[in-house]
Amino acid sequence: MNSVNFNQLVPGRTLIAAAVAAILLAACTAAPPRPVGAAEARGKLTQLQSNPDLANRAPLAVKEADAAVRAAEQPEADRELGAHRVYMADRKVEIARAQAETSLAEDQRSTLSAQRESARLDARTREADAARDQVATARAEGAEQKVVAEQARTDADTARSDAASSEQQATELRRQIDMLQAKPTDRGLVLTLGDVLFTSGRADLKAGATGNLNKLVAFLNQYPDRTAAIEGHTDSVGNEDSNQGLSERRADSVKSYLVGQGIGASRLSASGKGENDPLAGNDSAAGRQQNRRVEVIISNPVAALR
Amino acid sequence: MNSTSHAPGSCALRTAVVLAGFFVLAACVSTPPAPTAGLQAAQRAIATAEAAEAGRYAPGELAEARTELASADTAVSDQRMTLAARLADESRVEAELASARTGQMKAKAVNDEMARSTSTLIEEMQRSSGAKP
Repeated sequence: MNSVNFNQLVPGRTLIAAAVAAILLAACTAAPPRPVGAAEARGKLTQLQSNPDLANRAPLAVKEADAAVRAAEQPEADRELGAHRVYMADRKVEIARAQAETSLAEDQRSTLSAQRESARLDARTREADAARDQVATARAEGAEQKVVAEQARTDADTARSDAASSEQQATELRRQIDMLQAKPTDRGLVLTLGDVLFTSGRADLKAGATGNLNKLVAFLNQYPDRTAAIEGHTDSVGNEDSNQGLSERRADSVKSYLVGQGIGASRLSASGKGENDPLAGNDSAAGRQQNRRVEVIISNPVAALR
Repeated sequence: MNSTSHAPGSCALRTAVVLAGFFVLAACVSTPPAPTAGLQAAQRAIATAEAAEAGRYAPGELAEARTELASADTAVSDQRMTLAARLADESRVEAELASARTGQMKAKAVNDEMARSTSTLIEEMQRSSGAKP
């Protein structure tokens, strides 16, 4: 080029040309290395792009990640800059992956909810079938129960044909609860057994006073996943310690009766509250009568009323 | 150029001086302004992640984003603006990752809960049908 001509003519120019060449050469020496870690970032991105479940789920983030990885792959003499680009690329790949996984999880939700619906429907159908089986057993048991059985069979058939309707199930449960005269509370269904169960001062059950208890037995048989806590209470007449003892023994004797009727002991717990938890004032006979009682608290199973 | 009409020696000298002046100037241009936009973007990304409960779902990423932002601030006060800009970018992208991971964990938690309630339902059903022959 021109410089060659000047070269022969002017020694001063040679000097400058040499300096410029040296600077250019210095810039070009030893092609700078690829930043460490760029290959790993590329590897992670490729993995994401070749996963058929995730590949097309976060197109924008993947595009950004790809650009960042390409920048990181450029040979770079400035090591810190190279490391910075690798960092950015790595995080952008991770962001793309997280977004893709999120979108996949959201899409899987409809499948999951279909599965749950089908399990729920199945459960209701089975419950209705079970109710019908019970009816068949009850019918065999005698004429007195026949009327009830008829009623229950009608209910069971209705329940089965409407198996998909959860309202129906709730109605059946409410009917049972009404039959028990139990009150739904935060702690569960509370069934209050009055003092007619026991002779004053004693803890053994009166013969013939077990009608309400038998309804409870039937209920617990029908809902085998429910447990019951039995609590004895007294009025404030008499010694506090002896009241405490009496309330415990009464709760125990209700529990023994239920166990005797075939309810698993592991589903039952008994405790005495003595006179500490009155329902009414102890200054009238009526109030004291209300306070002398055994409460049966039936647990609410999760989702039972849904 | 005009240079041919001048004496060759003085021309070289002039060129050298101009070049040197240019380099000196280039060196002095340094101390760029603080990367305010980058720092603000990082702060916003951290605030977004915090609002999405990243502290619960992606605490590691969120903590790192905060640390990098603090380092960026330190670099600004040390007048190391290039470093500050990079740290601010790293903080922002880390906070964005914290948000993305948080979204992923939340979605997964919802699905797990749905799967769990379904299997509980099936288990209960099997238990109650097993109890009654």
